[in-house]
Amino acid sequence: MDFIAQERDRLLRSTTRAVGIVCVALSLVAVLSALAVPLGPLLGAVACMLVMVGGFLATAWSTSTWWTVLTLAAGVGALALLFLGVDEGTRPVVASAAVPLASGALSAPLMTQRGRPVGIGLTIAAGVGAVVAVVWATGNVLSGPVTGVLLGWGLVAVSTVWISRSIPRVARRIYSIGTAHRAERQASETEAQRRQGARLLHDTVLATLTLLAHSGVGVSEQAMREQAAEDARLLRHLRLGATPQPQQSGDYSLTREEESPLGQTLESVKQRFGRMGLEVSWHGTGQVLLPSNVLDAFLLALGECLENVRRHAGVGEAHVTIVHDNETVRAMVTDSGVGFDLDAVSAERLGFKESVVNRLREVGGDAKLFSAPGSGTTVVLEAPR
Amino acid sequence: MSIPEDTISRGLPGETVQPAPRTRREARERYRGSERRQVRGLPMTSTGARSLRQAAKPGASLGAGYLGLGAAVVSAIAAIGGIVLFLARWGELSNPWLSAGAWGLFAVAAIGVGLSLLTYGERLTGPAFGLVCVVLACVVTLDFAGIWHGHDIAHTASASVAAGFALLPIATLRPAREVAAAVAVLGLAFVGMAVVSTPISSDTLPGIVSLLGIVVVPPAIAIHVVHRFRQVVQRELDRVLVQSNVQAPQFAVGMLASDELARLDLAAEKLLDAVANGSDPLPLSGASASVAASLATELRLHLIEGRRETWLYHAITESEHLGRSVSVADPTSLAGHLSRTQRDGLLQALWQMVGDGRTAQPGSPVVSVTLGPVGTDGHPVTDETMDVPIVFESRGVPRRRLGPTAWSALQRIGPYTDTVRDGVLHVTAHCVVDRHPSM
Repeated sequence: MDFIAQERDRLLRSTTRAVGIVCVALSLVAVLSALAVPLGPLLGAVACMLVMVGGFLATAWSTSTWWTVLTLAAGVGALALLFLGVDEGTRPVVASAAVPLASGALSAPLMTQRGRPVGIGLTIAAGVGAVVAVVWATGNVLSGPVTGVLLGWGLVAVSTVWISRSIPRVARRIYSIGTAHRAERQASETEAQRRQGARLLHDTVLATLTLLAHSGVGVSEQAMREQAAEDARLLRHLRLGATPQPQQSGDYSLTREEESPLGQTLESVKQRFGRMGLEVSWHGTGQVLLPSNVLDAFLLALGECLENVRRHAGVGEAHVTIVHDNETVRAMVTDSGVGFDLDAVSAERLGFKESVVNRLREVGGDAKLFSAPGSGTTVVLEAPR
Repeated sequence: MSIPEDTISRGLPGETVQPAPRTRREARERYRGSERRQVRGLPMTSTGARSLRQAAKPGASLGAGYLGLGAAVVSAIAAIGGIVLFLARWGELSNPWLSAGAWGLFAVAAIGVGLSLLTYGERLTGPAFGLVCVVLACVVTLDFAGIWHGHDIAHTASASVAAGFALLPIATLRPAREVAAAVAVLGLAFVGMAVVSTPISSDTLPGIVSLLGIVVVPPAIAIHVVHRFRQVVQRELDRVLVQSNVQAPQFAVGMLASDELARLDLAAEKLLDAVANGSDPLPLSGASASVAASLATELRLHLIEGRRETWLYHAITESEHLGRSVSVADPTSLAGHLSRTQRDGLLQALWQMVGDGRTAQPGSPVVSVTLGPVGTDGHPVTDETMDVPIVFESRGVPRRRLGPTAWSALQRIGPYTDTVRDGVLHVTAHCVVDRHPSM
């Protein structure tokens, strides 16, 4: 509320400035055009009007009551000089010229006197003085200038009240929008974390999309369709916020320690590579519970190894043996393919270090690579339990 | 477990294709919308973005309706005053019935507009505004015809003066330039009428100038007030929306990135679905393949980025006001460690220092904030806590103009020292934070 109260006061001050300066300027033009005021009083009145303009400008950077006092005194002084400086015949003309000053410029300080009884009192006193002066000058209570001045005061007073009441009203609405927005932000943040947490899912989706980016060439049409259907299904589950049950893979089942939105299992890894022409055989039995991030890293590394077999080994089959003890779980990925010379082909070229070793090291595991030309390749993956 | 049947449409894969804009205005608005989406970091459909769009729209946006009601009250007071004065002078007028007719038309128009606003809500369409202007022109013409033979416009004009006040509530409903044009036309009509009907002399001129003031100044001031009011509302809305970052976790993705990720996932799902059920035949067409490629690229980017952004980064980029004028240097993402109170203090201090966001040298930020480095002299680090130096360099508001709100906000960050060098305010706050924040 602090901030918007400050803004409200700034709004009222700027309105005061606009009303005050415009009205003083109008009166100045009107008085000069009357050609009725003798030079002495005219110069005095013009000086007073300039002081008023200065006083209004000062509201931009000072809220002191003294500026209000100065402005009001200058305004009343200008009226007095104008009315007393002319004879009775021209006084009504000068009075009609002074209407903007008496109605707008003298009432404008009312807007900045929120919570200042002294300021309000002084402004109203100046207003009463101005009305009395205009009535005296025109010699008629119902004359045009008098009604003009009264009207101006009424309008400024109503506007002041209305503007100051509008701001708290709109502030309440803004705060309720803010509350809704905060809830939306929290929900969207949770949702983003859930989606980003489904790294494994996105990994297979990205792999499939990459294949599709090459129009799906190189993979059988049936396999491509099945893979796309499987990925679309998983994405749909993610979108609907579902938690699919983990599936069995051979006799081995890997389950997450904590519940997470998407289960991704050895079986779907096997299916994925099966569709792309690499038969994966699993060896080993048992059930391993892994923390979510470890399981993700482990399966991602495993997928990378199998992808390397598919691309480079030149065979249609790979074996994965999983063993575990109390501290670690190990997977041995072997193929009987062409193999390669570890010194001749750097591990970086295969993306091995980045996609396998680093992923596992992030969760406290490691990976080792063994190969020789003509005798296949073996990768040992380790992850902590 | 059963999964609800899929409801996504079978459109083109990837982006939903919008129909081409029909008019230039539509194209411009759409462009602006997309630009805002980029700039503000909020998804188009979120409450925040919708409210900001609504607040920026001309017409009875956020809170302007109540202001318009006030303006209507003001113009009603003016009209009643005018009628009283008119009746009091009935005998002096050469042709009072024409002016009475003008008042009648004015009353009918006011009641008509009032009823339409009550029925159709606080908005005034362009054609309706045009109609109101035509009716007001008739009112002014009738009144001018009535006072023509009096040859003293300053003392006889009545309903035509009220036409100026009738523009007050309209200023809250229509764009400023339209109302300003109406005010200008009205002012010119008065000048023309004064020149033609009234002998210009030093006796009549002061009254004419005052009359012009009464006709033109109130609606002009109303335009100014409405403009400033909208600014206040937009600024406060911006501030309140940005404030929600105070409760964000240490690192956040941001609302736009989250929305984008959901959108990309949905687009990928549609594409894969289309491939799976054969509606996109394999091998894929070049267009679909390039959609798949760009989806993969964008998805990869979204999965990598976004984790390392602090609440402060999101607050600054999402805010229209702060984004323009504040630069943040936080290479080690220390802002994420700040507690809620400290974050609130930091944001408040920034809002106060930015002021109206203008500096002497355009292009340079109004306020620069630097967080860290930790472990420098006088900023100890322990096992549990560390003292993060937060340095503000403010060119926005001079030191003496910073109110108590700013200093108490700084106090909430931590103990601070401030100096002024070359007109630039330097504040260094010692912000003691938890090394392992729970948020």
